[in-house]
Amino acid sequence: MQTLAVVLALLALAPFLWLLLMSFKTNAEIFRFPPRLLFDATLANYAALWTSEFRNSFANSLIVSVASTVLSLVIGVPAAYALSRWTGRGGGTITLWILASRMAPPIAFTIPYFLVYRHLELLDTLTGLIVIYLTFNLSLVIWMMRPFYDQLPRSLEEAAWIDGATLWQGFYRIILPLSGPGLAATAILCFLFAWNDFFFALILTRTEAMTAPVAVVNFMNYEGWEWGRIAAGGTMIMLPVLVFSFVVRRYLVHGLTGGALKG
Amino acid sequence: MISSPSAGFSRAQHRFFAFCVAPSLAVLALITLLPALYLLATSFTQLSLTRPETQWDFSQPLESYRQLLSDSRLHNSVWVQIKLSFWTVLLQLLIGLLLALLLNIRSRLLEALRTVFLIPMVLPPIVVAIIWKVIYTPDISPMHGIFRSLGWNVPALITDPNWALTSIIIADTWEWFPFTMLMVLAALQMMPQELLDAAKVDGASPWQLTRHITLPFIRGVLLVAGLFRLIDSIKAFPLIFILTDGGPGSLTEVTNYYSYLQAFNFSFLGFSSAITVALLAATIALSWLIVRLVGWGAKID
Repeated sequence: MQTLAVVLALLALAPFLWLLLMSFKTNAEIFRFPPRLLFDATLANYAALWTSEFRNSFANSLIVSVASTVLSLVIGVPAAYALSRWTGRGGGTITLWILASRMAPPIAFTIPYFLVYRHLELLDTLTGLIVIYLTFNLSLVIWMMRPFYDQLPRSLEEAAWIDGATLWQGFYRIILPLSGPGLAATAILCFLFAWNDFFFALILTRTEAMTAPVAVVNFMNYEGWEWGRIAAGGTMIMLPVLVFSFVVRRYLVHGLTGGALKG
Repeated sequence: MISSPSAGFSRAQHRFFAFCVAPSLAVLALITLLPALYLLATSFTQLSLTRPETQWDFSQPLESYRQLLSDSRLHNSVWVQIKLSFWTVLLQLLIGLLLALLLNIRSRLLEALRTVFLIPMVLPPIVVAIIWKVIYTPDISPMHGIFRSLGWNVPALITDPNWALTSIIIADTWEWFPFTMLMVLAALQMMPQELLDAAKVDGASPWQLTRHITLPFIRGVLLVAGLFRLIDSIKAFPLIFILTDGGPGSLTEVTNYYSYLQAFNFSFLGFSSAITVALLAATIALSWLIVRLVGWGAKID
């Protein structure tokens, strides 16, 4: 049983490992079959990448992802908390709205944003990307954090109130620190969703604000089939993702389904 | 013992909550609701970027929708979409379920393997597309290398009319089977142990346990996982963009992709908006189904 599982895992990972190895190969090595297990690894692909425009795109990806994460948390966390305590009507409608805007096909936002950005001169700007990334990240924060606050007893803020704290102090000093792990996981997921975006950046950027995923695809289209560099670019895009995903693996399902599973 | 809070507390709390929610709702309205309305408005025009005068021309509001009914390329894309969605959701549920059952045994090794199996799902979609581009490009593909050394003459799958859609389905299944696996594993861990123990005492075989206790228990989770994947399959883009570009012909051109081509290759944004409104409606309907199934609405209202 365990052997079967290991074999299946290797099989499932083979395509991914192949790309990783390819990024360290020379062109001659890439076209060799059967591949040599021990080849002379080279960093030339990474070096070539790092001296090209790709570096700017990588920086753009970082800036946009971090900015969109911070903004979403600042706006969304208080709302998640309040909605978790919400007893009025309309809660179901808000939930559906948030879920639908998370699930909507990106093109539904891309068309209006593209048309409006042409007039606001926000095409090919980092600001433009940060704003459109809010469409999925703000919803993510709200529906990711709400279940965390559902678990915190209401008596906490009542006790703080009786001790003379304002509601804001109660939230800021007591509730917020208690939801620390949830906040960290949510921040990482926000970063990942922004970092992974391809479609919005493909349509809304040209050169200045181009992000790393779009830049890699441009190698494919405009610089012939530079397989080594494409593989190196792909590897650089996925490395932060792999590290962060490992950190938040416990929260992945939660983040993708908004706590559709309850313990 | 905390005394019950005063009326002043609950009034203050009400104000505080409104203050917390207002910015989010305002921003969400501005960045999602308004664009959705803009999309709807655009779908009532014949907007084409090559003819600026069409921007706010509502003289024939339903023309784009009439075109929806008569455009055979669109109908083809819907059919491609149905095939893609059906097979990817089915295969992902099946493979994810089997793997979850396999991995749901207490063991250090298997717990470590769970994390390994997650990798395809967390990779950036564009990297997944690059990985499969490599596998489907005969010159450099290890798969084609193996085929060649076996003496098989296999065509490039993504340009072969018989294989193009299948090759997308394979790549998409690889990317997302971990999602079902994760959800099922999470559900399995909530399964009441007493139930299993009682059945074991009664002499049930592992197969009977799975068939009569485990499967009924995780049926709901499978349904929700399937719905999430179904909605996501409507958005299929990077794989198709990188691997086949909708081709050969329009054999892998799903509706979302066709809408993209209409808007950003042919610049018929009016028509594309009408297609997208239909896609959006489908997404909202499926999301509503999830909200009902999971019971989020009931919990709050």
